[in-house]
Amino acid sequence: MKMAIAWGCLVPSRRSLLGYEAATRKVLDHLGVEIVDIPNETCCAPFWMQSLDITTSLALAARNLAKAEQMGLDLLTPCSGCFHSYKRVNHTMKKYPGVKERIQDILRSAGLRYDGTVEARHLVDFLYTDIGMDVIKSKMVRNLDGIELGLRYGCHMLKPHELLNIEYSERPTFADEIIEGVGATSKQYIGRHRCCGGLLRGTDDDLADDVLKERLVDANEADLDSLVTVCSLCHIQHDMGQRIIKNKYGIEDLDIPVLHYPQVLALAFGFSPKEIGLQQHTVSTSKLVAKLKMTAKEGGEA
Amino acid sequence: MGQTHEVRTQKDDVPIRDEDVDREFKYEVAGHFGGEGLLRCLKCGACSGGCPVGAVTDYRPRKVLGNVLLGLKDLVLSSDDIWMCAACFTCEERCVQEVNFTDVVTILRNMAVREGHASQGYLDMARTVSQHGRVTPVTHSVQRMREKLGLPELQEPDMEELTKILSAAGFDKILAIYTGRDMSE
Repeated sequence: MKMAIAWGCLVPSRRSLLGYEAATRKVLDHLGVEIVDIPNETCCAPFWMQSLDITTSLALAARNLAKAEQMGLDLLTPCSGCFHSYKRVNHTMKKYPGVKERIQDILRSAGLRYDGTVEARHLVDFLYTDIGMDVIKSKMVRNLDGIELGLRYGCHMLKPHELLNIEYSERPTFADEIIEGVGATSKQYIGRHRCCGGLLRGTDDDLADDVLKERLVDANEADLDSLVTVCSLCHIQHDMGQRIIKNKYGIEDLDIPVLHYPQVLALAFGFSPKEIGLQQHTVSTSKLVAKLKMTAKEGGEA
Repeated sequence: MGQTHEVRTQKDDVPIRDEDVDREFKYEVAGHFGGEGLLRCLKCGACSGGCPVGAVTDYRPRKVLGNVLLGLKDLVLSSDDIWMCAACFTCEERCVQEVNFTDVVTILRNMAVREGHASQGYLDMARTVSQHGRVTPVTHSVQRMREKLGLPELQEPDMEELTKILSAAGFDKILAIYTGRDMSE
């Protein structure tokens, strides 16, 4: 299986997100999926750019799709924001012929062409649908039995389901199934499906804090070994933002590690915490790593 | 009962006046792609009920929709409210009338941007992208961390293609509205 892959802006360039890329590369390689990076990838121009000008946003996103189309490959991405952008291009081009023409005119002026034939796929959906639980289980090396995780699907992988076509967002189960499949417990808790306020960072930081605080208080009460996020913004909020919330609202016992979704699989596939970047996260993952009963050789010092 | 309330009789107290109303506004919004659902709104409030921002502030998507339907164009486009949506799409997912509020907000923001009301944070991000091709420029220390993790060297974004796209889309002209304007004050 061969896919083009778009990493987005944040995943390959933020300290605490580098482990997302590392784990994704390791997991896909372990599963025999060949990936080709979109050449000289540019920003997918997600919701904040749509807010400034929707047509510019669609044309910018279409640039990376055009590169995948040139290679004759479908486009995989671990970033939910990118996924949303690419799905919106295809949806808009199909629904509004006039907008399609405008996007294609803009691309032509940059020497590009996109006909709308590339399917955009989210990493987590791809793992569940195209790889499947049987194959994932057969590739397991380590059972994550005894680890209690709080999974956040995030907003932009699922909502609105009519655009993204994965699963209705109110009670999704597919990503939990994979976590349970590798032996961990996926804990249900209040607020896990609610927005983290990530897109308010930059427009209204106090508001972004207020929304995030609600999410972290809920997660804290759920008594988790770790949160698990799919979306880059969810991770930035919950991991990097956790100390801000702890100090700003005086929540003394707030100390929840935040894993990237493919890191859970990478651990089950036997990769060490160090090679999937667990030491790069802002909130220490060492308690979680200790619970995984690592041998010293496997890099338990992370 | 028995209590006396001050009776509001002053014309100034009437919250909405004819001269504030632009009757064409809702059709203007509904005429943009993605805005068609606006005219189907029943103002039932399911959007406000599920709103994560509404849970911590008095922001209400229904109020924004109500104001648009009333035709309060100037008020809507200059208000902070339209910049408070976190784009979680919960309202869009739940709306029985398929109003697609998040898409409506995008249209309202696009209009507001052309009138000089863009969010400073989003403008800064757009400037970064127009200069570096990505929203977070890659630093040397990130390059070193990538090396340590065994990640391949990051390719430079194609600035030539990106610049041509921004210019052909007319985004230059939008950024030009804000040139020299220090909005951080």
